[in-house]
Amino acid sequence: MKSLSFRWQLTLFILMISGVTLSLAFAGLYLYDVQQFNAEVQTRLESSQAAVIESVLPQLEHNPNATGLSLKVLAGNTQVAAGAIYSRDNRLLGQFVRPGSVEKVPPSRGLLSQLTPERGAVWLPITSGLRPLGQLYLKAELSEADRNRFANLMRGSLIIFFASAMLAVAVAFRVQGRITQPITELARVSTHVQRSRDYSERVQTTASGEIGDLIQSFNAMLDTIQSNTAELERARAAAEEAREKIHQTNDQLEEANRTLEARVVDRTRLLAKAVKDAEEASKAKSSFLAKMSHELRTPLNAIIGYSEIMREDAVDDGDTRTADDLDKVLSAARHLLGLINDVLDISKIEAGKMELYLETFELSKVVTEVISTASPLVAKKGNSLVVDCPPDIGTMHADATKLRQMLLNLLSNASKFTEKGTVTLKVRRQRGEPEDNIELAVIDSGIGMTPEQLARLFQAFSQADASTSSKYGGTGLGLAISKQFAQMMKGEINVTSTPGVGSTFTIRLPANVQSKQPKIVGTSSPKLTRSPFPTQTRPKILVIDDDKEIRIVIAELLNMSGYEVIEAASGQQGLDLADQSAPDLILLDVMMPGIDGWTVLTKLQSKPRLADVPVIVLSAVSDSDMAMSLGAASVLLKPVDASRLTAEIAMQLCPVDGSFVLLVEDDPDSRNLLIRMFEKEGWQFRAAVNGNAALRVLHKAAPVFIILDLKMSGMNGFELLEVIGKNPAWSKIPVAIVSSMDITPEMRDYLQTRVTAIFQKGRFSREELADLIRPVIQGGAPVPAAKPA
Amino acid sequence: MPKILLVEDNEMNRDMLSRRLEKRGYTLAIAVDGAAGVAMAKSEAPDLILMDMSLPVIDGWDATKQIKADPATAKVPIIALTAHAMDSDRQKALAAGCDDFDTKPVELARLLVKIEELLKKFPPKA
Ligand SMILES: Nc1ncnc2c1ncn2[C@@H]1O[C@H](COP(=O)(O)OP(=O)(O)O)[C@@H](O)[C@H]1O
Ligand SMILES: [Mg+2]
Repeated sequence: MKSLSFRWQLTLFILMISGVTLSLAFAGLYLYDVQQFNAEVQTRLESSQAAVIESVLPQLEHNPNATGLSLKVLAGNTQVAAGAIYSRDNRLLGQFVRPGSVEKVPPSRGLLSQLTPERGAVWLPITSGLRPLGQLYLKAELSEADRNRFANLMRGSLIIFFASAMLAVAVAFRVQGRITQPITELARVSTHVQRSRDYSERVQTTASGEIGDLIQSFNAMLDTIQSNTAELERARAAAEEAREKIHQTNDQLEEANRTLEARVVDRTRLLAKAVKDAEEASKAKSSFLAKMSHELRTPLNAIIGYSEIMREDAVDDGDTRTADDLDKVLSAARHLLGLINDVLDISKIEAGKMELYLETFELSKVVTEVISTASPLVAKKGNSLVVDCPPDIGTMHADATKLRQMLLNLLSNASKFTEKGTVTLKVRRQRGEPEDNIELAVIDSGIGMTPEQLARLFQAFSQADASTSSKYGGTGLGLAISKQFAQMMKGEINVTSTPGVGSTFTIRLPANVQSKQPKIVGTSSPKLTRSPFPTQTRPKILVIDDDKEIRIVIAELLNMSGYEVIEAASGQQGLDLADQSAPDLILLDVMMPGIDGWTVLTKLQSKPRLADVPVIVLSAVSDSDMAMSLGAASVLLKPVDASRLTAEIAMQLCPVDGSFVLLVEDDPDSRNLLIRMFEKEGWQFRAAVNGNAALRVLHKAAPVFIILDLKMSGMNGFELLEVIGKNPAWSKIPVAIVSSMDITPEMRDYLQTRVTAIFQKGRFSREELADLIRPVIQGGAPVPAAKPA
Repeated sequence: MPKILLVEDNEMNRDMLSRRLEKRGYTLAIAVDGAAGVAMAKSEAPDLILMDMSLPVIDGWDATKQIKADPATAKVPIIALTAHAMDSDRQKALAAGCDDFDTKPVELARLLVKIEELLKKFPPKA
């Protein structure tokens, strides 16, 4: 079927349908004819019927199963061809067949003979009264006319069948043209397109309906494919062209690249210098601010202190006028101090120098403290203070000092801008996932602020309007600082306010503030210093830090830079590993649970075998005096700058061969000034931050010249001079003192027998110093041990 | 009356603090640098020491460590006074062996509370 063409499939289909229809019609006709004929036969045989039944009835009545019944009575009627009697259970009891006839009687009365009527045969019941006794079968002798009647029926049917089949084929052939032509054409075109990939051909047709739609879609598809293909072709051509061009440009680019690389190197050098300059400038700025604030605070402290003493005396003497005046002086001075502190805070924040000091504390305790400080302020303008803090508010992990400062500022603002009203401090813990928040709201019923005023809030030096500062005082720094503090603790401050009704300032902080500061920065910087040793000797560095994250980062960094790293997760483990593995250098964290960094450092220094191992302290605390005095080789501030760290390690481990200068100086600025001079002259040098560190260097190799500061934490200059003087290997090394100390005549006498030169910091030219060192470095010729008096 | 050793190099601070403490009935001994402070901790046998941290010759951290290392003076409570209002200084002061700490400028009322607390904890022998 599959391989037949559509035309033949259709023809066959029509033929099949007409065949089946005609067969059914013929069968119906035949059955009807049999029924008619048999009814005729029954009348024809009526007399024989009665005769037979009459002859066998007595026997059957006597025995309904009597076999071998005689039907000879039928011989008399020539119209009967055959006859038979059957019992009630359909067995053959007797039969008659006309001699010379081909007829046969059914051997038993089967189901088939009951259902399909036999042409020319009748079945009749034999009964006695109402009792059924059996069945009589009679078959008529068919006449010529009877036989013709059947043949005519068959003939007529066949003629009709063939005529209708012819008609069906004719119709099929006519109809198929209209249906199959478009489909055939579609098949032809698609086969052609598939073979030739020529998408310009279209199916020509007048067909309508579904087939028409199908062909139109097919044509539309060809349209799309044709235009897509064309576009693709154009794109391919363009790509080819572009590739060609790229090829050409590549050569030019490579050339440009080479120039660029050279230029990048130049730029990097310039940039590095710019960064260094900027760093220095910012360092200068913050050290200026620190000095400035110190300079301002010292006299201010004297003013406050002496005013307090005088006020106490005046109160004792009952001199209320003087006491009142002094109160005014005191309040002005305290205000000034607050201002200085605020300015210092803001500039620290701006310089990124403000640090968080996180601790766990009872929130209610801090609230109580703040309230006791603020309540006189609140009472001043006739306001009442309401504290709404649940007793089970619990603990908080945050910077308590900063939280106190924020709350005090909000409370002082609220009481400043409210008169005869209420100031409320409301504290709530908000349970949350993954962590709780603490909400502290300061609500007042004061003058409030307009939306415009609100918009300017939280900016440094901004007050609601210019008249505020004259009427209410203040600097406009409090909120700016508070906001920064909140942000440092990953929280926020919000405000809602209605003019004339009051304001609500809300601080929201995580109950458990995490120090999110990166602990180490610049690990991908190109300025990392590699180990000063050949690659196969990897110096061992012991990293002692309880923070796993920072250990991993440092280990990775140092491995990359050519060191072997041993990690210790606690102070105790650090001490154990230092004993066992004899590291060449130790990196030490300060804040550790259990044995802290200071203790570790002290213990390391007390073991003769380990005292010479340089220890670099990594600290979040900005002051390095402590570490130095405990014997650290150097202190790096967290976040640790990776390039600084690697440079520091390399410098500590760097083997010195040949002539080098030893610089002993604890002030980083003075140290850097001199180091720059060494670098400019191209001299080798080692720097030490105090006498202890200097001795560590001296134990390894003797320098040709020593530059020595006098005042240092840990072992100072005088002490070091004593040690050097007692060791014959070192006593001949020329020493120049560079110090900011006021040198008394006695000191000068003492020093002059031991040192080559004495310079006062800030009052000597570096050239002078360089002139002293140059000959020793170059010729190794010893300089006279001491200047003539 | 309890005896307080004040180690402070700034003359005005020294003067103010000593006068105000004397007025409240304390006996005062004064040292002007770290070395003198260590020496007087021994010779004066004070009941409490107020130690400034930035001192000439040897600084407050070192002086504290030396005093705490000497069995004769180790038991004397020390309050560190630092100019920096930095919490990290508290850590450092406590690490060096100080028993408490306060920031300068001194707020007398607050300092007096700390002094009294420590004197209660380490009662004067006499
Ligand atoms: N509770 C308040 N009610 C009305 N105005 C306020 C309130 N709190 C702050 N402000 C406005 O915000 C300004 C800035 O406040 P702040 O930063 O604390 O600085 P300062 O208190 O030194 O003026 C105030 O000068 C005032 O104009
Ligand atoms: Mg304010």
